[in-house]
Amino acid sequence: MSGALAGLRVLDLCDQTGAFAGKLLAGLGADVVLVEPPVGAPLRGIPPFFAGVPGAERSLFFWFYAAGKRGITLDVGHRDGPDVLCRLAAAADVVIESEPPGRLAALGCGSEALRASNPRLVVASITPFGQSGPYRDWRASDLVAQALGGMLYVNGRPDGPPLGALGLQAYHQAGIQAAVGVMAALLARDMTGRGQDVDVSLQAAVAGALEHVPGFFHQDGRIGVRQGTLHWTRYFRVGRCRDGWVMHCTLGDWTSLVEWMKADGIVADVLDDPSLDEPKNRQAAAERVFDVLDDWAARYTVAELVEGAQLRRIPYAAVRAPEALLDDPQLAERGFFVPIEHPDLGATVPYPGAPFRLGDTPWRVARPPRLGEHNADVYRELLGGPPPGASR
Amino acid sequence: MTRPLDGVRVLDFTWVVAGPVTTRILADLGADVIKIERRVSLDFGDRRGGLSGSLMRGKRSLVLDLNDPRGLDLARRLAAISDVVIDNFSARVMANLGLDYESLRTLRPDIVCVRMTGFGLTGPDRDHVSYGPTLQALTGYTLLMAEPGEPPAGFGYSYSDLAGGNLGALAVLAALWHRRRTGRGQLVDLAQLEAVASLLGPTLLARATDGGVSVPAGNASQEMPGAPHGVYPCAGDDRWLAITVLSDDEWKRFATTLGWSPERRFARREDRVEHADELDRMVTAWTRGRLAEDAMALLQRAGIACGLVANAEDLCARDPQLAARGHFAEVGTPEGRTVRLDGPPYLLSETPAHVGGPGPLLGEHGDQVLAGLLGLGEEAIRSLRVAGVVG
Repeated sequence: MSGALAGLRVLDLCDQTGAFAGKLLAGLGADVVLVEPPVGAPLRGIPPFFAGVPGAERSLFFWFYAAGKRGITLDVGHRDGPDVLCRLAAAADVVIESEPPGRLAALGCGSEALRASNPRLVVASITPFGQSGPYRDWRASDLVAQALGGMLYVNGRPDGPPLGALGLQAYHQAGIQAAVGVMAALLARDMTGRGQDVDVSLQAAVAGALEHVPGFFHQDGRIGVRQGTLHWTRYFRVGRCRDGWVMHCTLGDWTSLVEWMKADGIVADVLDDPSLDEPKNRQAAAERVFDVLDDWAARYTVAELVEGAQLRRIPYAAVRAPEALLDDPQLAERGFFVPIEHPDLGATVPYPGAPFRLGDTPWRVARPPRLGEHNADVYRELLGGPPPGASR
Repeated sequence: MTRPLDGVRVLDFTWVVAGPVTTRILADLGADVIKIERRVSLDFGDRRGGLSGSLMRGKRSLVLDLNDPRGLDLARRLAAISDVVIDNFSARVMANLGLDYESLRTLRPDIVCVRMTGFGLTGPDRDHVSYGPTLQALTGYTLLMAEPGEPPAGFGYSYSDLAGGNLGALAVLAALWHRRRTGRGQLVDLAQLEAVASLLGPTLLARATDGGVSVPAGNASQEMPGAPHGVYPCAGDDRWLAITVLSDDEWKRFATTLGWSPERRFARREDRVEHADELDRMVTAWTRGRLAEDAMALLQRAGIACGLVANAEDLCARDPQLAARGHFAEVGTPEGRTVRLDGPPYLLSETPAHVGGPGPLLGEHGDQVLAGLLGLGEEAIRSLRVAGVVG
């Protein structure tokens, strides 16, 4: 079976800020060609490295984002570079790039030039703040985009600093929004016959991954604040068990939870307050309720508490490290991790797999390309010749 | 103006957050999204604007009692004329209603059926109930969002619902693309657990190969190591500036801008990372007396990545960049109010996505949908209302 996007060709010129977009399209079955400078993409230099040893073919960071892409080299700054890029783009459906706004245009291969010989081309740009506006030329990292996008302010202890998300989520949200924008542009192309530009900003992508913050401000001027692990709905808070942390939840079957605690001999006013049968009142009394739950949870291990909760259909969860996912029975049963062979290293590595499953068009993960691995194939297929001088 | 999903109809059984995030993207792109709702809906205040409005923007609302055979029949008739059917109930709900993929296919052979669940349609945990915070706990976000040596302090909201919802929209668009080429629909099985796990790629590959233990990184860089990197207090109450200095060139520009003499012991990245705590104290001494806005403008002029930590007001009322992009939309309501809503975060140059309207009131479009799409007469609709089948 082939992927949902089989037959689509994508040129991926992105650094780490945009690399997730091409990864998603490759997972969906598009032929994504990663275009790296002859010295290798900057991602190849980002740790961690396999077995802790640096090397262009050993960056786990690169592996994740490049898995399933083909790789060619091209020096866009070479005197023939822009022309080669335009000719490659003439044989592609999509170009995704993350250069500073205006840089490719200055080299003669901006979206208008790329589209001159291929009016059906979709050109997606992923930049810190977008292609226009007062911050157009400003810089951002993942943390800075989280800051200006509104994510950072509401995470962390009330008396501590704002806290960034685990795992470069500004880059990932921008990648998702770029992939959405590309698919929308391709579907529009079916109607109009023409390609178009997709302008994604890291900042706006973060703003598009907020929950209560903009909505409550627009509604009544409320400003969301940091309150540690107490969720803004006030139905969830982290508590401590004998051997680790657990996520308490006061949605769901409150009556069963109260019965369980009483059977354990817990005495507290919140357990005898019938008004708390109403979820809204538990929300209002959250601090009081969670303090009692914390005292009670301290007598259990995380596993005992979560198992007891699941039996009663109370949605508690263990607060786990990411590595717990590697042995998670649910993910194992569904084959989430995909073993990928790295013959050069004599290793087979479980790669994280599909973010969602399309029943008839499976997700694809494959070994990331070695530097310039597909030069001969791709230049022959797209340009009908050997790799040009600008590829070296 | 043309939008990419003009002519696409989505029958939307989703509720709360993750599912509505998926379908709001489809609505922005021009799809006719029909929300099937219960008489009692779980809203976050105003349905026109605010959080609920942002989740429901541009959709139509129909209240149906799916426990009544007549209500279920109406839902099936709507499914038969829809391109996409989507829900985010736990796995067995749609099957119990006879609205699972196998049943829907008999009504509409090329249907795209999207099932968004916590854990997926298969596997030992398939019937477990989940919420955003519990999924974030299971996948590592909660534990690792902490200052070094401090307890978990992370995610004050359900990021996983937004991440899963945004990925869900990509799944729908890919399935529609495939259907246009082959004529075939399919089942989309989106497990939120997997969606959020897939966003931890480098960390998971690291642990899979080194067998190590993840520790909280605070606000340290999670790509190339570097320092200073973090969030620094500025003048005023709860004002902060995020700063990222990675390369030696950036450090030179940064130090020069602050008027520091370039000390040799900080010249190399490794040395700065080693002395990160000391650098943080020095940077803090500089930021503490300055407005975040001023420090940001000064450093950005020198090409340093930095940004104030925007609260809701900074984001929605003061940010000139989001305003210039038209990120927030103002739309009129049938009652003559104007509400402000989030818009799509990506811009399309020729067929732009845009907010099609405010959120619908509960059941607002019942008559419109039943008469316009199913051809029901006034009398038939009235008797369904009297019987409580339609809200």
